[in-house]
Amino acid sequence: MPETAGIEYTKVAEIKGPLMIIDGITKASFDELVEIETADGERRLGKVLEVGFGKAVVQVFEGTTGLTITGTKAKFLGKTMEMPVSQELLGRVFDGLGRPNDGLPDPIADKFLDVNGEPMNPERREYPTSFIQTGVSVIDGMLTLVRGQKLPIFSGSGMPHNILAAQIARQASVVGTKEDFAVVFGAIGVQYSEAQYFKRSLEESGALRRSVLFLNLADDPAIERIITPRVALTVAEYLAFDLGMHVLAILTDMTNYAEALREISAAREEVPGRKGYPGYLYTDLANNYERAGRIKGKNGSVTQVPILSMPADDITHPIPDLTGYITEGQIVLGRDLFRMGVYPPVNVLMSLSRLMKDGVGEGKTRSDHMEVGNQMYDAYSRAQEVRALAEIVGKAGLTGVDLKYLEVGDMFEQHFLKQAPDENRTLDETLGRAWEVLSTLPEGELTKIRDKHVKQYYKGK
Amino acid sequence: MSSNSALERTISKVLSQKEAELISKIDSAYQESLNNLEASRGKLEAERTRIVESARKQGENLKRQIVGSGRLAARNQELLIIESAVNNAFEEARKKLAASGGKDSYRELSSSIIEESVLSVGSDEVVIECNKNDSGLIRKILSDLQEKNPKVQAKVSDRSIDVLGGIKIKSADGTMTYDNTLDSRIERLKPLIRKNIAQMLRGEA
Repeated sequence: MPETAGIEYTKVAEIKGPLMIIDGITKASFDELVEIETADGERRLGKVLEVGFGKAVVQVFEGTTGLTITGTKAKFLGKTMEMPVSQELLGRVFDGLGRPNDGLPDPIADKFLDVNGEPMNPERREYPTSFIQTGVSVIDGMLTLVRGQKLPIFSGSGMPHNILAAQIARQASVVGTKEDFAVVFGAIGVQYSEAQYFKRSLEESGALRRSVLFLNLADDPAIERIITPRVALTVAEYLAFDLGMHVLAILTDMTNYAEALREISAAREEVPGRKGYPGYLYTDLANNYERAGRIKGKNGSVTQVPILSMPADDITHPIPDLTGYITEGQIVLGRDLFRMGVYPPVNVLMSLSRLMKDGVGEGKTRSDHMEVGNQMYDAYSRAQEVRALAEIVGKAGLTGVDLKYLEVGDMFEQHFLKQAPDENRTLDETLGRAWEVLSTLPEGELTKIRDKHVKQYYKGK
Repeated sequence: MSSNSALERTISKVLSQKEAELISKIDSAYQESLNNLEASRGKLEAERTRIVESARKQGENLKRQIVGSGRLAARNQELLIIESAVNNAFEEARKKLAASGGKDSYRELSSSIIEESVLSVGSDEVVIECNKNDSGLIRKILSDLQEKNPKVQAKVSDRSIDVLGGIKIKSADGTMTYDNTLDSRIERLKPLIRKNIAQMLRGEA
């Protein structure tokens, strides 16, 4: 701890939005943690955003409501924000700033880690190639998640992304190995009922003991949301690279994170970028998303599934747009499927897992996995075209093969895509269902699958 | 008589025809039932396997849930016990510190705390606050310090503070404060000390 650690200043020059400007500063550092004490003794946390000319701009995480220029004290702690980490974090629930929220004491730390993390050396990164089973057919079969990947879910308001996230958190596993698996769940600006749902869902499935939850609720100060993904990812990195666990980090909802970033940017009077978001939104998102991966010589991995709700279902909105540049594919939830009552309503034609090809196949999952996935894409895409055609010419105008594709489309949605939120399908079950869908088609239509696999699995006449 | 026997023969013929018909129907129904039974057996077997499999999965889930919750509850209980022991250890340490007022080691500690604090505040004109018992000791240390470094313009405040020991130092204009009391130092180092105490309690140290 530096010699200035713990100096308390009382000269607050200005309070503006989530920011507080303190005068008479002799020594302070960028990103330094600040403990603020209100006139009536309440304590809040903040961090230094700018220093210079004897002033420091402090961003107050819990918001500045109730703070006054006189009577407010700011203690500069001489360190950046840190998260105490140890294996004991598993099974614990924290708030959005990493403080215990489960009635238990502060964790006894093995070490304290800077929540901003350390950038991974690109040369030491290992290419992700191992399969994670989520038990959700459409993800395992067609959008396979690979250890160390970052695969976001693009959703819309009111859609069941949180139910899907909780299902993935409960069911995710590394099949066929004895390696430890953990889930770090960062809820950013979620409703109380949703937070309770996540917690209860993990408790009831027995998955809580291998999970760490960070819950920032919708009525918590927006500025706190800047920290929630950072503390969650710090813990994920510790579990992965210090303890050798395979960690799935689920962050929902990153749109709330970006909104908080916009709020701070506006208060700092920065030049706004698209839709008022700061120009550095891309860099800031990348700072979080790039904390996924594997490191050569280390056992563990951090796999990220950030969830973001697209305002007005607009995929060109800056948040999904920039996220798409950074991550390795996306899972898009479709409003039409949702209205049809299909769960999970994944629009596979807009979704993609860029690393799937490296994580499936002989020796990893099943030799026909990739081919079946491709054929399913092809068949469903054709089914959509035939549906559109049928709207114009009617069913009577369709050929026999076209009618088969119509059947495939329905079967794909009802038999393969649709599953219960508590239904955990094995990969064999998923591929079995995929073959049942594909077997509706004449054998000659299966052009993306090798003959030996068709002979082995095709069930049609 | 002959007409009666003809009638009887006809009736008997009809009856035997109907009997044969009925027997054939019963036979075919029986055969059909056997076939149905055979076909259903396969379905039934599949259904039975599905129900058994689903019950087995449910059982496994339930077991995992019960074992998981049990382990977690036990771990949480352990955390609470350790925390209570750690708090007791801190309480004991505080009592010992409070009783160490007159010792030479405390004088040395107070002297280094004052030097460190003056340096940290970065101002030569400072006001020092301490507890009632330490007031004399702090004044003595300060006069020694001022002899060594006459630039330091420190005065001890008449207002005492309720702390175990150490000092709180303020710049003359009151805008800058450095809390270097023993209470505050313990709080600063508590997260690190807690780990050591917990290790001792678990027999790991």
